[in-house]
Amino acid sequence: MVLEARYFDGKTAAAQTVSLMLDAHDLVLRGSGFELRWPLGEVHISERLGSTPCLLTYAGGGHCEVIDHAELEALLARLGTRRSWLDGMQHSMVWALFAAALIVLSLLAAYRYLLPWGAEAIAMHAPGGVLQQMGSSTLETLDRVMLQPSKLDAARQQELSDAYARLKPLPDAQLQYRIVFRSAPGMGANAFALPDGTIVMLDELVELTKDDNEIIAVLAHERGHVERRHALRMVLQSSAVGLVLTWYMGDVSSLLATLPAVVVQAKYSRDMENEADEYAERTLRHNALSPCLLASILDKLEASHLARNAGKRLPATEAGKGDEVLDYLSSHPATKERASQLCPAESSQR
Amino acid sequence: MQMQHQQHEHAFEFTGNGREYFKIWIVNLLLSILTLGIYSAWAKVRRLQYFYRNTRLADAGFEYHGTPLAILKGRFIAFGLLVVYSVAGGLNPLLGIVIALLIAAVMPWLIVRSLRFKLHNSSYRGLRFAFAGSDGAAYTVFLLFPILTVLSLYLLAPFTHQQIKQYQHRNSMFGDTFFNFEASVGSFYGIYLRMLGLLVVLGILAGILVAAGLPFMLILLPIAFLFVAAYLAVRLPNLIWNATGLGEHTFYSRLEIRPYLWISFTNLLGIVFTLGLYVPFATVRMMRYKLESMGLLAQGDLAEFVAGQAQAISATGEETAEMFDVDISL
Repeated sequence: MVLEARYFDGKTAAAQTVSLMLDAHDLVLRGSGFELRWPLGEVHISERLGSTPCLLTYAGGGHCEVIDHAELEALLARLGTRRSWLDGMQHSMVWALFAAALIVLSLLAAYRYLLPWGAEAIAMHAPGGVLQQMGSSTLETLDRVMLQPSKLDAARQQELSDAYARLKPLPDAQLQYRIVFRSAPGMGANAFALPDGTIVMLDELVELTKDDNEIIAVLAHERGHVERRHALRMVLQSSAVGLVLTWYMGDVSSLLATLPAVVVQAKYSRDMENEADEYAERTLRHNALSPCLLASILDKLEASHLARNAGKRLPATEAGKGDEVLDYLSSHPATKERASQLCPAESSQR
Repeated sequence: MQMQHQQHEHAFEFTGNGREYFKIWIVNLLLSILTLGIYSAWAKVRRLQYFYRNTRLADAGFEYHGTPLAILKGRFIAFGLLVVYSVAGGLNPLLGIVIALLIAAVMPWLIVRSLRFKLHNSSYRGLRFAFAGSDGAAYTVFLLFPILTVLSLYLLAPFTHQQIKQYQHRNSMFGDTFFNFEASVGSFYGIYLRMLGLLVVLGILAGILVAAGLPFMLILLPIAFLFVAAYLAVRLPNLIWNATGLGEHTFYSRLEIRPYLWISFTNLLGIVFTLGLYVPFATVRMMRYKLESMGLLAQGDLAEFVAGQAQAISATGEETAEMFDVDISL
C-alpha cells in the first residue's frame, strides 16, 4: 500500500511528491532520488478537519501534506492509532444537531440558574466600600440628570425620617439606612433604593397618601431591595448578559442585541420585586404593622401611574386589556398579583 | 538587457464549505460553553486551521500553528483587562479613566506580540511568516497617532489608518522576503471623504423623508448604513491589498460593493432567522467571496520565487517568541 503526499522540508518552499510507507517503527518518505526515515514517535499527525489536507509534521523539521484521507486513515489503523472522540463528533451531522440542542439547553440553564446564583454570590460578598461608592456616585449622577431638590418642608422630612428610624430592622439586616428627599415631576410617584442603603423618596410619593405607615411600608420594600443587593445584582447580571450577547451577535447590529437584554432583564427584576415584597412583609410584621399597608400603597401607585400614562399613550379602556402584555414586559409584576400575595384577606374581599 | 518577465495571475482559492464547517463549529461551541469559555481557545485553533488549510494559492495551502495554551493566556489577559476596566469604571469614573490610560499604555506592546504570534504561527509551503516591527514604531502608530487623531477631531483618522497598515505590512515577512506597502495617505483620505459624502447625502435624504411626513421610511436607514459599511469594507481592502507586494510580486483585491452587500445582507437575515445557526455558513460564504476576489500578480514564475525562499531566522529567536508572545485578538 502506497500513500501519496507532498513533502516540504521547512527550509525552502519547494514541494516534492513522495510516497509514504511504514517500515517497522519508521515512516519512510520516498521521493525521486531521495529517501527519508522519520521515527513514528517523532511524527505529529494533525487532526482531521473536514476534507482539508492532513499534515504529518516531523519534530526534526519538514512536513508532509496528505490529501487522500481514506488511505491515511487506513495507514493510521495499521499503526493502531485511534482518532480522538472529538474527531467523530466533529464530522457527524447527528452529533452536530445534538450539540445544537445541548447548546440551547445549557444556555437556558445558565441564564435561569447560573447567572442569578453567580450575581447573588458576588453581590452578597461585595465589600461595604464598594456599596458606598456605588451609592454615592449613583446619587450624584441622578441628581445631575433627573432629580430636583425636595419641596417638602424640613419638619415634614424630619417627621418621616424619624418614623423610618423607628422601623426596626430584621435581625439579619446588614446595612445602615437613611432617606433623602428629592422631587422628580417627570418620573411620577416613586422611591428607589441605592446600593449603600440610601433610599431616595420622591415628593410625589409622599403626597400620594395620608397614612405615613403606608410610606413606611414602601420604605420596608425598598429596604428589601437594598438588603438583597438588587441593584448590584442587576448591574452584574446585565453586564454579563450584555457581554455574552455582544460576543455572540458579533456583526449583527447592537440594536438586535439590546432588545433581548431588555426583555430578559424585566424578568429578573420581577423576581427581585417579589423578593423585596417578601422582605417588606417580614419587616412590617416584625414591627407589628400589616403587610396590607404595602398592598394599599402599591394600588395607589399603580393608579397614579396609569393616570399619568393615560394622558400619554394608553386609553383608559385599553389599560386593563393590556395588562398581560404589560405584565410580561414591565419590570413590576402585576400589582393585583402582588397585592394578593401581601394581603390575601383584603384582595379576596374585592 | 533585462529580461521582461511575464505576469501570471494567481487567484486565492477557498475550498471550505458551510456544511462541513458547521459540524466542527457547533461541537466546539458546545464544548466552549460547557467549559465556560476555556475551550474556546481550542475552538479558535480549529477554526483558523480549517480556514488556513482551505485557503489555497498556486496549488498549495496555508497552515496555522498556534497553540491553544498561548491563545488561552492571551484571553486571560484580555479578559482580565476588561474586568478590571469595567469594575473600576463602575465604581468610580476617575479610577476608570486611570485604568483606561494604563491599558492604553500597554496596548501597543501587546499588539506587537499579537502580530508576531499570528504571523509566526502562519505558514505556506512549510515556510513561516514573521513580523519584524519594533516596539518604538508600534507606540507611534498605535498610541501617539490615535491620540493625535482624537485631538484633531478625527481629521487625522485616514492618516493614522494608513500609518498602521504601512507599519503592519512593511514589517511582515514570508520566508526571508519582506512585504511592501505603497498606498498613499491621500488615497486613504479619498475613501474616507467619499464615505463622509455618502453619510451627508443619507442624512439629507432622511431629513427630506421626515419633512415630507414619511418618517416610517426611516426604517430604510439601517440598510443605508449597511451600504456605507459595505463601501468601506470593499474599498479599504482593495486599496490596501492593491498597494501591497511581496518581493517583486504584487497582490490584487477586486471586491465589489454589490456582491459584498448582497452577501452581508443575506448573511444577516440568515443569522437572525436561524438564531445564529447560520453563522458558520455565513462565515464561509463571506470568506470565499473575500479570498477569491484576491490574488497575487507574479512577475515570472511564482513557484521559482517561492522555492527560492528560505526560512527566516528571527533575531529574537523562536523560543522567546513562544514564551512571550500572546494572542490578544478575540
